[in-house]
Amino acid sequence: MTVDYATLTAGQEVSNTTFVLDANTITRYIESVSGDSTLRYPLGPDVVPPMAIAALGLRAIINDLGIPEGTLHSSQDLAFLGPTFVGDKLTCRASVKLNSVRRESRFVSISLCINDAGDREVMTGTTTLIMPATGTLQDA
Amino acid sequence: MPNWISGMNLEPIIKTITQNQINKYADASGDFNPLHINQPFARKSQFGRTIAHGMLIAASLSEMMGVNFGIDWHISGRMKLRFKAPVFPGDTATTFGEVKEVIDLNSKSEIVCVIGVKRQTGENAITGEARVMVNTIQ
Repeated sequence: MTVDYATLTAGQEVSNTTFVLDANTITRYIESVSGDSTLRYPLGPDVVPPMAIAALGLRAIINDLGIPEGTLHSSQDLAFLGPTFVGDKLTCRASVKLNSVRRESRFVSISLCINDAGDREVMTGTTTLIMPATGTLQDA
Repeated sequence: MPNWISGMNLEPIIKTITQNQINKYADASGDFNPLHINQPFARKSQFGRTIAHGMLIAASLSEMMGVNFGIDWHISGRMKLRFKAPVFPGDTATTFGEVKEVIDLNSKSEIVCVIGVKRQTGENAITGEARVMVNTIQ
């Protein structure tokens, strides 16, 4: 279910999700990004790749907000603030930073902040998405 | 760990992207946007075929930074990325990174790098900047 993006306002919280970095999820993530080579990651098997945290944070947003078909990822800012490990429990909070329409496209920037179980920030970032102002790319 | 100076190149990451890999990433990330996994839908899009998730390609940039900077990347890494062009199944995506500036901050240095990913055509798929704090070598 996709929300009506026209109604989103700056500062509005769109996701507040807790998830666990379980071994199966991280293994699937690593397999998917490794492709035809082994992920070169010298820090040990229990250290979670930082981009996995970002991907799982975005998954929380996708689940809670819904993303219209054909949406494009325009830009991504990320700050990694501490290592995370398999088994860690994280909370992702996401809020609207910007929601504007230019020409026929809607630009939505979403800030996300991911904390560990001790409420320590482990990642922050901003995701900017471009989607048709109405309908999907099929309609555009 | 090297003594980082302006102009140094980072060791790149090279990957050939497949539709199977894109499908796996969709499953792992929960991003089932049909632009990535649905051929009939993607054929009607501006790209004419499926494209890889931007974050799948961006993962190679973080991998490059992790290979070059180790744990420092985990605790102080920052990057700003712009997705400039799609990467298609069958493309070879190669990361690049060059130290642009070394900022001395007492016992640490902030390393500023120009980073990105190129397709095999030479086209930039992602451009951006990364920053990481490292201990100053005595």
